Amino acid sequence: MATLTRQDLNFGQGKLCFTLRMLPIARNSVENPIRKKRWSFAVVADILCEFLEVAIHMILYVREVYPSGIFQKRKKYNVPVQMSCHPELNRYIQDTLHCVKPLIEKNEAEKVVVVIIDKEHHPVERFVFEISQPPLLSISSDTLLSHVEQLLRAVILKISVCDAVLDNNPPGCTFTVLVHTREAATRNMEKVQVIKDFPWIVADEQEVHMEEPKLIPLKTMTSDILKMQLYVEEKGRKSCG
Amino acid sequence: MSRDGWRKKASEDDGWGGRGGYMAAKVSKLQEQFQKDAPIERQKDGKSTCIFSGVAIYVNGYTDPCADELRRLMMLNGGQFHLYYSRSKTTHIIATNLPNNKIQELRGEKVVRPEWITDSVKAGRQLSYIQYQLYTKQKGLNFTSVCTLGVIDSASSLDPAKPSINLVQSDGVQPSKDVLKSTNSTEQINHQLDIKLNGSHSIISDENAGSHRMNGIHNEDDDNFCAPLPRGSRDPLLTNGYVHAVNGALKPQDLTEHLPQVVDAESHRPNNPLSGQNEKKQRSKHSCAGSKADLHQRPPVEQHVPYNMQNEPQPKPTCNPGTSAETSNLQNQTSKIRLNGSYHTTSNSAHADSSKQSGRKQAAHGAEAGIISEFFSHSRLHHISTWRSEFSEFVNTLQSRRRAAGGAVFSGKEKLRKLKANCHSGFSMPAPQVRQSCIMHVDMDCFFVSVGLRHRPDLKGKPVAVTSNRGPGRVAQRPGADPQLEFQYYQNKHKQYRKEKIDGDFEMTPSPQSEETSSNGVNLDQTALSMAEIASCSYEARQTGVRNGMFFGRAKQLCPDLESVPYDFQAYREVALTMYETLASFTHNIEALSCDEALVDATALLAELGITPDELAGAIRADIKEKTGCSASVGMGSNILLARMGTRKAKPNGQYFLRSEEVDDFIRDQPVSSLPGVGRSMSSKLASLGVSMCGDLQQLSISRLQREFGPRTGQTLFRFCRGLDDRPVRSEKERKSVSAEMNYNIRFTQIEEAESFLTNLSMEVQKRLEGAGLRGRRVTLKVMMRKAGAPVEPAKYGGHGICDNLARSVLLAHPTDSGQLIATETIKIFHAMKLDVKDMRGVGLQVQQLEGPHADPSGHGSSRGRSIRDMLLARQPVHGQNKESLAQDGLSNTSPYRPSLSNQEGVLPPQSPPSTLLDPIAGTSKGELSNPHTPNHVRASLNFSIEVPSPSQVDQSVLEALPAELRKQVEQSWSHREERPSTSFHLTTSPRITSTPAPMLGTLILQIPNQSGQPSTTGIVLELPDFSQVDPDVFAALPKELQEELCSAYRNKENAQAQSAVVEQKNQFPQLKQPAVGKTKRRYKRKNASPAKKGPSPLKKLLQTGNSPAKSSPSKIDPLPINNQGLKTENVRCPSSPSTNAPETLLKLNPRPVPTLAGAFDFSDIRTLLHEWVTTISEPMEEDILQVVKYCTDLVEDKDLEKLYLVIKYMKRLMQQSSESVWSMAFDFILDNVQVVVQQTYGSTLKIT
Repeated sequence: MATLTRQDLNFGQGKLCFTLRMLPIARNSVENPIRKKRWSFAVVADILCEFLEVAIHMILYVREVYPSGIFQKRKKYNVPVQMSCHPELNRYIQDTLHCVKPLIEKNEAEKVVVVIIDKEHHPVERFVFEISQPPLLSISSDTLLSHVEQLLRAVILKISVCDAVLDNNPPGCTFTVLVHTREAATRNMEKVQVIKDFPWIVADEQEVHMEEPKLIPLKTMTSDILKMQLYVEEKGRKSCG
Repeated sequence: MSRDGWRKKASEDDGWGGRGGYMAAKVSKLQEQFQKDAPIERQKDGKSTCIFSGVAIYVNGYTDPCADELRRLMMLNGGQFHLYYSRSKTTHIIATNLPNNKIQELRGEKVVRPEWITDSVKAGRQLSYIQYQLYTKQKGLNFTSVCTLGVIDSASSLDPAKPSINLVQSDGVQPSKDVLKSTNSTEQINHQLDIKLNGSHSIISDENAGSHRMNGIHNEDDDNFCAPLPRGSRDPLLTNGYVHAVNGALKPQDLTEHLPQVVDAESHRPNNPLSGQNEKKQRSKHSCAGSKADLHQRPPVEQHVPYNMQNEPQPKPTCNPGTSAETSNLQNQTSKIRLNGSYHTTSNSAHADSSKQSGRKQAAHGAEAGIISEFFSHSRLHHISTWRSEFSEFVNTLQSRRRAAGGAVFSGKEKLRKLKANCHSGFSMPAPQVRQSCIMHVDMDCFFVSVGLRHRPDLKGKPVAVTSNRGPGRVAQRPGADPQLEFQYYQNKHKQYRKEKIDGDFEMTPSPQSEETSSNGVNLDQTALSMAEIASCSYEARQTGVRNGMFFGRAKQLCPDLESVPYDFQAYREVALTMYETLASFTHNIEALSCDEALVDATALLAELGITPDELAGAIRADIKEKTGCSASVGMGSNILLARMGTRKAKPNGQYFLRSEEVDDFIRDQPVSSLPGVGRSMSSKLASLGVSMCGDLQQLSISRLQREFGPRTGQTLFRFCRGLDDRPVRSEKERKSVSAEMNYNIRFTQIEEAESFLTNLSMEVQKRLEGAGLRGRRVTLKVMMRKAGAPVEPAKYGGHGICDNLARSVLLAHPTDSGQLIATETIKIFHAMKLDVKDMRGVGLQVQQLEGPHADPSGHGSSRGRSIRDMLLARQPVHGQNKESLAQDGLSNTSPYRPSLSNQEGVLPPQSPPSTLLDPIAGTSKGELSNPHTPNHVRASLNFSIEVPSPSQVDQSVLEALPAELRKQVEQSWSHREERPSTSFHLTTSPRITSTPAPMLGTLILQIPNQSGQPSTTGIVLELPDFSQVDPDVFAALPKELQEELCSAYRNKENAQAQSAVVEQKNQFPQLKQPAVGKTKRRYKRKNASPAKKGPSPLKKLLQTGNSPAKSSPSKIDPLPINNQGLKTENVRCPSSPSTNAPETLLKLNPRPVPTLAGAFDFSDIRTLLHEWVTTISEPMEEDILQVVKYCTDLVEDKDLEKLYLVIKYMKRLMQQSSESVWSMAFDFILDNVQVVVQQTYGSTLKIT
């Protein structure tokens, strides 16, 4: 099991106003011609990445990693969500997910973790999206995926209220995204870098280790195409960290 | 009229507005006067009763005795007299004659002849008004005397679809005297005809006078029934789609002959409406009365014919005036004669049946309002079934009267006491010290027969059957019917059941067809045999193989000298009432089972009198025999089941006390089908398991049974076959559903008919709901559809034949008793079902989730109220009643007022359990929250909350799970959202991550079968991943003690590498916990061995039953989850548990079972289960705790942390609030174990706040 990371850019605190392009729900817009067998996994990956993007923005907003000024209210999954309108941050998130997608497509990502780290780069909170896909997909049963959408919405809602069960973070936090891969996915990944100047690196011990982690389950969703649970690991004593 | 005026006036500003209008004031004043006068009148008269309490009459028109006299009678006898009719308050309308439009208006009301009052006064009790109904034909109870054609007439007179022209006429508004006269004359003719016709049937009822009057009225209708053109298309018999073959031939011909005439008359003589009307009148006479007249060739016909000739030529159409009309008429008549003749031949062979049928002939015609009540007023099954509730009511009133009086006089008991005293004067015998409960099952011996024979001593000792058929038992076969095929069908079906079923010769009433097919091989000429069923047959007849429910024709074959006795409902009623009165003279602890059987809880009585059950049974039987002239059998036992079994042995005319010592031996040799609830389908299923006797059944484990039959039924079977039964004798019963069903003669052709039929059925349901004073929320529509390939015409006339049963239900927003509302909903469901109306053979409507009239408007109050009542009522049967209240409405599973004997109940603050429903939380979604039954609503609530971002985004399930105080805090925290009070959830200190206490750990091993050695560590090894897989970081993160423990665990694991592999696999697929099952078995055995011990101590009983829910080997499912089974399906989409359905296919290819706790997997079920567990038991059992731990572990493995979290938090709240420190300890233990597992899986521990 390897843990990969993407260090984020440390954004300054400026007031930035850009409109954020909301991704259309791109269910069938798979760019690369993929083998038919993989088709549905690609769909799942699309859905999931789209969701992760929304979720990451929400987490950043709810956990106050960035000032609320850079967020704008939008509607996704028929619920209000907060989206950053900082172009670089958005770019970073999009690039990250772009790199995550191939992993999900091959069902090699076990967990996608949004880690909130403090000034000393010690993680204080980890939002863990634990993903497992059923070996056989049957999308046909729910062509519009409305059920999945409902479930995803529930997860988003859960994120939006998770501050109620979490302690406040120390000031000056930033974040990073880790991917826990299965087996030997890393090696393959090195061969096929999706974005050449945006590589994955194996995470440091320091970034992964957390003192006295407390686990707070947020939401479990189960659908035909995807089983995912979201939980937060919180550092035992945040304030002194 | 007065009503209208009243309304109008009330709306005007006449100075009476404050009191609801002048009329309202007047009515209330009259009421006062009546009240005031009543005592004076009573004094004057000297005698007074209260037989009419609750009855409010309104006298309409001339009556004999006059209205004043009736008023006086009502005063004297506790009734009400309304000078102005009020639909809501007036219960009965007294009239001897009503104009047609009033009949229309009062449809559905109880219109009763004044004799009802006088006779009731004479009898000294309130007689059933059904006998005296003015329009629903008093012969309702005595089918044989019904004149067939007369019934058709009267039935059609109630047709609401009828054109209104008749209203005008009958009101006498018609200016022309001529017309009026002609109406009268035809009326008279019809009167006479009908009498004659009645006379021609060999059965002359003493109520001929009544029928005369009645027929007169209806024939008047018929005269008016001369609908212009639409009549042809509206004719009920035509649109019926299914008509009696002969009638079917008759009617169309009628029409084809007459229709042109009418057209002509109308079109050519528009200026002469009078003659046109006359003509029409005649035509109607021809079609209705004329046929009868012709048939009998009575003088009135002659009168009628010249009259005909006078009038007819006048308006006669162009082409062939006069003669053509006559000839066509003549032709008509001759054809009718023939047809009717043939009709009569058929009706002779099955006349009793046909008379019944004719009453329902138009039942299928949906537009016929009142036809449904008509059907029910005729259906013998309906009668018998209503009696049951009537007698239940009787017992209820006894109870309440006793309460009111503060004690009752039990004449029978006193007599016994004296007897006893006499006996004892000689030698004093000490009353038996040990008292165990004694239930008596009193059952009349072949009730219908013995009642029927009371006045037919000549038939005593002969084979006798009560049936509607009197003929030789043969009928002509109708075209379209294919009895052969049906027989084959039932035979095949039956073969499945029969395979291993033992056919004991005890009394049983299976479906008639199956019994028949099994008992004869000569049903080839079955086709011609009467299909009238035998309601009851004497023991002599039974010896020849005749059975209850058998068709008469078949029975006659078996036993040629079988005598048939007609139904005599009035007598049944009397006898049954006498029986109940007799029983009530001993005790009031009676449960009415049906008209001829009852359960008596004699425990207290025996203890008080100090006599043996046998003595009491003897006394009761002698008493019943003396008072009713019919014999009764009594079975006795320590519970209901045994008492019923005893009755089997006691019959006929005996008594049997099934002693606890012999229960075991006795029950082992009983066929399973003798157990209550084991019908054909279940016994066939049992047979496939190789079980035919209770003894065989005892061999099956409870888990097996529950797997086969579902948790609840499984357990019931398990208990029943051991003679265990904790159902109480319930003298006061609550209804669970109100329904109306009709599967006789349903033949629709158009969807509109079905719709209007449903509307009418809804009205019938409304009537019944109103009668019971209940309102319900769930409406279920049941439809019987002709099975594909089944013959269009069933073997039994008008029967439903082979059908598929379909049912759909809908939950209403509010409880209702409005027929209109029910109808709308029903029709909606009906359309959704998309059925072919032509194949409909039966329709039923059922209303469930009933509430009493005093229920809170909110709807929640009632469920709570019920629970409270449960608590008050519950002595020992806590569980049974719980179950019912749960089953009745899902709400009460969150109700805190669960009856319980454990002390913790008191400690629980009443609002602390999740009674979310009453708290104003998350505004919009509150209403829906309370209603877990409707997925739609739940979804709606989700959408609602979405619009409002902050507080309503709270997950419902979480909120629901919160106790009230916590929720309040959440609310506060929402209101100060900006401040983010992070403390609101940190009520307790951080959770402990300590290792499990050593002694407890030892017990953990119990969970793992086949584990050898390593006592203190294997429990953990179980959960350990392979050493190489252990993340060193994770390991480092562990607290010290845990690390040590893990190290030792791994060391041990090396020793037992192979084993652990096995164990690991085991763990993934939760297996039955063998030891636990063994224990359960042992316990049951113990119980079984000494039923005497299971005495009246409710505590003990409760504990025993209380233990069972939590004693949860995965397969052994306790009563709780079952109750929610109904809910479960609906809860699936509830937001709190999105992860419930379908076994997940995870990474592994084989599907992984959803983790369950005692069979429950839905979160709400789990919660109910846990609640039950914690609140009913003072000290948790080790194995139960382990089971919960196991479940939690499974949840972790199933990656359902959310549910785990909710479960843990719920347990924490429950258990830490419990007064017993044992529970807190139990929780700590569970939590510790779960934390270890979570730690191993996720490297961190759950944060429990």
